[in-house]
Amino acid sequence: MKKCLLFIFFIAFFSGGAQDALEYKLDGSENGKSLSTVLFELEKKYPIHFYFLSEWTDPIFFDRSFEGQTIGEALTELFRGSDLSFVTMYSHAVVLVKDPLQELSRNRIIKEAIREQKKVERRVVGDARKQKKGQVRILGRIVDAETKDALPQANVKVSGSQLGTNTNEEGKYAISLSPGKHILSFTFVDSKEEIIDLEVYEDGEVNIELEKLPTLLDEIIIQDLSTKEITTSRIGQMQITIRDLKRAPALLGEPDVIKQIQTLPGVTTVGEAAAGFNVRGGSVDQNLVLYDGMPVFNSSHVFGFLSSFNSEAIRDVSFYRGGIPAEFGGRVSSILDIRSKDGDFEKWRGSGGIGMITSNLMINGPIVKKKTSIAASFRSTYSNWLIHSINTNYVNLGKSNVFFYDGTFKATHLLSEKTKLSLTGYSSRDAFRLFGDSTYQWENLQISSRLDHQFSSKLNGEFIGGISRYGYSLKNDQELTASELSFQITSYVAKAGFYLQNGIHKTNFGWQGIYYQFDPGAFKPTSAISGAKNVSIDHQYSFESAFYVSDEWAFKKDIFVEAGLRLPMFASFGSASINIYKDGQPRDITTIAEVKNFNSGQPIKTYFGFEPRFSVRWTNTPTSSFKLGYNRMYQFLHLVTNTTAVTPVDIWQPSGYYFKPQYADQISVGYFRDFKEKKYGVSIETYYKMIENIIDFKDGAQLILNKHLETDLLQGKGESYGVETSISKNIGRLTGIFSYTYSRTFRTINGPTSSESVNGGKQYPASSDQPHILNLSWKYNLARKIFFTGNFTFHSGRPVTIPLSALPIENNTAAYFSERNQYRIPDYHRLDVALVFEGNHKRKKKWEGTWVLSVYNVYGRNNPYTIFFKNTLSGVPSPYQLSIIGTPLPSISYNFKF
Amino acid sequence: MRHLVLNSKIKWILIYLLLAACVVKVDFDVPLAQSQIVIEGIISDEPGPYTVYVSKALSLSSDSSYRDPIEKVKITLMDDLGNSENLIEVNPGVYKTGGVIQGLVGHSYHIILETLDGKKFESEPDMLKVVGALTDIRFTYEARRSKTAFTETAADVFNIYIDGDSPAGDDNYTRWRFKGTYKIVTFPDLNYTVTPPYAPYKNPYPCSGVRIGEGPIGSGGILIRFGECTCCTCWANQFEEMPQLSDVQLASNNQFKNIKVAEVRITSNFFAEKYLVEVEQMSLSRMAFDYFKLIRKQKEGASSIFQPPAGKIAGNIKALNSNVSVVGLFWATSIKSKYTFINRSNVPYPLTPPEYSTKPCNSFKYSSNVKPILW
Repeated sequence: MKKCLLFIFFIAFFSGGAQDALEYKLDGSENGKSLSTVLFELEKKYPIHFYFLSEWTDPIFFDRSFEGQTIGEALTELFRGSDLSFVTMYSHAVVLVKDPLQELSRNRIIKEAIREQKKVERRVVGDARKQKKGQVRILGRIVDAETKDALPQANVKVSGSQLGTNTNEEGKYAISLSPGKHILSFTFVDSKEEIIDLEVYEDGEVNIELEKLPTLLDEIIIQDLSTKEITTSRIGQMQITIRDLKRAPALLGEPDVIKQIQTLPGVTTVGEAAAGFNVRGGSVDQNLVLYDGMPVFNSSHVFGFLSSFNSEAIRDVSFYRGGIPAEFGGRVSSILDIRSKDGDFEKWRGSGGIGMITSNLMINGPIVKKKTSIAASFRSTYSNWLIHSINTNYVNLGKSNVFFYDGTFKATHLLSEKTKLSLTGYSSRDAFRLFGDSTYQWENLQISSRLDHQFSSKLNGEFIGGISRYGYSLKNDQELTASELSFQITSYVAKAGFYLQNGIHKTNFGWQGIYYQFDPGAFKPTSAISGAKNVSIDHQYSFESAFYVSDEWAFKKDIFVEAGLRLPMFASFGSASINIYKDGQPRDITTIAEVKNFNSGQPIKTYFGFEPRFSVRWTNTPTSSFKLGYNRMYQFLHLVTNTTAVTPVDIWQPSGYYFKPQYADQISVGYFRDFKEKKYGVSIETYYKMIENIIDFKDGAQLILNKHLETDLLQGKGESYGVETSISKNIGRLTGIFSYTYSRTFRTINGPTSSESVNGGKQYPASSDQPHILNLSWKYNLARKIFFTGNFTFHSGRPVTIPLSALPIENNTAAYFSERNQYRIPDYHRLDVALVFEGNHKRKKKWEGTWVLSVYNVYGRNNPYTIFFKNTLSGVPSPYQLSIIGTPLPSISYNFKF
Repeated sequence: MRHLVLNSKIKWILIYLLLAACVVKVDFDVPLAQSQIVIEGIISDEPGPYTVYVSKALSLSSDSSYRDPIEKVKITLMDDLGNSENLIEVNPGVYKTGGVIQGLVGHSYHIILETLDGKKFESEPDMLKVVGALTDIRFTYEARRSKTAFTETAADVFNIYIDGDSPAGDDNYTRWRFKGTYKIVTFPDLNYTVTPPYAPYKNPYPCSGVRIGEGPIGSGGILIRFGECTCCTCWANQFEEMPQLSDVQLASNNQFKNIKVAEVRITSNFFAEKYLVEVEQMSLSRMAFDYFKLIRKQKEGASSIFQPPAGKIAGNIKALNSNVSVVGLFWATSIKSKYTFINRSNVPYPLTPPEYSTKPCNSFKYSSNVKPILW
């Protein structure tokens, strides 16, 4: 009461006084002294008076020299984040006041949190009597309450201030506060927010265990940090964790990480059910997909209908498209980092789903309580059995085959409190044949182990080693032409990464190495009477490695900086025979001058890269921030494709004698703002990207089983730019996000001759150029456990090359094609809706079930998947559009957890 | 029972999903094909006359691949020695030389064209390069099956192989052009027409050399010969589906060995008597080689949903005084040719008699009643 009166008194009578008293400068002698002492000394030195209560100022110390700074500047700095402030009276008096609004605000926040059933806990760190000079430092670790998994990128925020931070990969955070009372909020996207009513006087620890939200099963939610935590996230980063995905309307009720990625601003897909995704105009191969640190080369089932990751087995997913940390590299557009779940260390649990064409089950639990756990998941389809049992004269489905599965296994063992060892296995396989005799098969197989160790309270390390194999085959079963085309990449991965928390700096450094073995293509007969020839392309060997270091620190209270450097190296090795072509002539088998032979292990070509990374965030107000990011990325592996749709039989080509690595420079700038306590958020982000040595194909290139790909591929420049905007409503009965992106992406391939140029060397739109992209998704709570969700998506049709006319040439006809990518396929748009019925929300229940009724493509739009050309009887080519799903597609699925 | 009903419903949902995928024709707003000019011509070291075709491009909705000719074009053939010769329009859109200029190895040739409305076009000079000898032509039988909607059927072929020489030195490109000829015998004199509900009545084609004369009641008249049948016996040609080029058939030690240039389907119609195979080995400039290579690639990739987009065919002809779209090639080549006959007796099993037809034989594609010199 006394404080309140004091405050009111001074505000009423002395506000607006002269500033002279505050303009005296400090001489540096204040360093190490308490504020009370310094104020007394200043009163002796200058004709000024300070009015204050020493109980307020005694705990406050000058922890550095303020030499040359004015008294006003020093007090402002010292009082930042506390409830103290000051006013001046006439020209010689300074009154220190305590703001009662802060106390009221604290109480209001706590009451609100209790009303919203958030977990609120009071903690005291240190002894008020032993209060430390200056700022105190709080360290802590945030883990999942059940699995004890570290929660990376969890958000720590000091209410009512601009202070905040995120946890690192180990779930650790550090934050500096002024001694006194604070309210900390800890959030992680699929977890209950926890509020800590903190009194802090000394350095200490605040460890947090966040509970999972009890509302749904462990589904994936893709949450764009740039909208929910817009002021504090890194530019271009999205954190994707476990929750609401199953509420979203999905194709055949299958929740899918990659499909959800495609709804984010700046991310598109080349067509309905197309494998992969395009980020900021980049091609599909420019995205690195990591599963527990291992590269995944084909992340799709059934030509991209579903992704090959079972959402039940995923712990969290991070998606980076700008300001990419130095830890990641190897692709020029984006990184999708998927982490699998550890098993529960306390008790056995299970979850699963039954859908129209697939079912999945995940079980996890302790082998040795609190010591060893396992988690295993499996998903497969029964479409094959169903297709075979259909008796119809309409189509011959007897030989049809649509089969896939994916499975994961993870064993985790806590060697000590500071050391965790995990072993992960991942396998996915597809076999696809609908009509005809050709069966497409592809599979991913990965085994990896990971050791996490805490060397000290400041230094943690992670060590990963593993093998990843991706391969496909195309089998023809017709006896006379029976054959098999196969392709395989084997990667041996090793990584050592370290996280050092030193004061305000979080440093991340390490090394990664991948040894690749490519089997670029083999074609062989598979029956005794087959007329197929034996053709095989020589194996290719290469090694990619990178050292990286990055540091993030709060440069000032409102400026957060992250800077890093990555130094990649790529070498290709023999044995190999390389064609050398005549100087000054187009590369063609008719211009081969000599063949250069390299022995086994002999280096053919080595490339070094230099990748600076930088991002900065300026939180100009507690609810808004500006962000800037720059990164350079190298890419040494290229997906070689010249089809309009990505097929599973596209090949990966490593950089080498002829193919230089691609590298991209990207700069992005954004402004982000929350309104009404995060009820609404808006963001606008713009980017510009230049890519060198981008690969495109020559007109009429033959890529499969081509022993001299360098004669059919060209390299040039790429350019992309765009603006991504979004508006979100995050709280309330109706929540949703509307985003609109305008983006363009072009290529220029200007070789020395016309046959080595595309479109005469002029700039042309890339196949993934889709200028207008619009997404709207919403969730409306019809009742407590019933949701109506939906999304609408629109994007401009992508460019294609089409025949314009038919040319009568030598008793035959040939199509006259336009220049490359000068026309566009029809625009893509689609509306999906779903009704979600959730089970009870009690925490102690033994079984939870959720029904999802959804309709995909509500108004039955015939969206084009690909454009192809069929010759008519007269030999004139005519364009046709293949739509994969041209009708409304209802589905029902049931998910459960026990 | 309830389980069975449910099961069947799920199956039909799956069928629904399968059929949800659909292929429809799509239309793009493209420039009018008729405004594009196609020019095609060749000069060789064989005796002339040499022919140039000038036509309009065909619309994609066209149901015919026949040329839509452009008439009354003034065409001049020129060589690098300063000689020139005007071509004469012998048929609509078909222009021939008169024998002034003879193609010679080592010289370049080009044409200049001017349409009736004053638009001028010119081809880049193309060098007539030497070609190696075509040393052998032969054929082998191959048994094949092909799938139909419900079963498999025989699709046996004769594969045509050649051996040849490649000229020494760099920058040599070779094309092999195939032409097959078979004899067609039809019975246009026995043609009749059926117009329900009436009975068939005799209706011989005039070219059959017979007409209907008065005959007994109910006989439909008698056939009276008034002249020679000019459409009873013809020779039809078959051409390659796509250009055969030397980049897919490599030469070793300047020799082409076992180059497969074509395959001939074995049917009773093609082998009613015998089948004439003619192969030309032709030299090409790099420019002409690239032109035909693009056409080849386009044909190879046709009709696959994963087909690669083909490139823009340009050629070596440019518009001089307008921005009219022109595409085509005037090229020079040296030719060595060989021929062989595949007899009906070479087919290792008896063939059924050829199909009986009462249509005029010249109604078959690429057929003529002029007997080939080699026949």
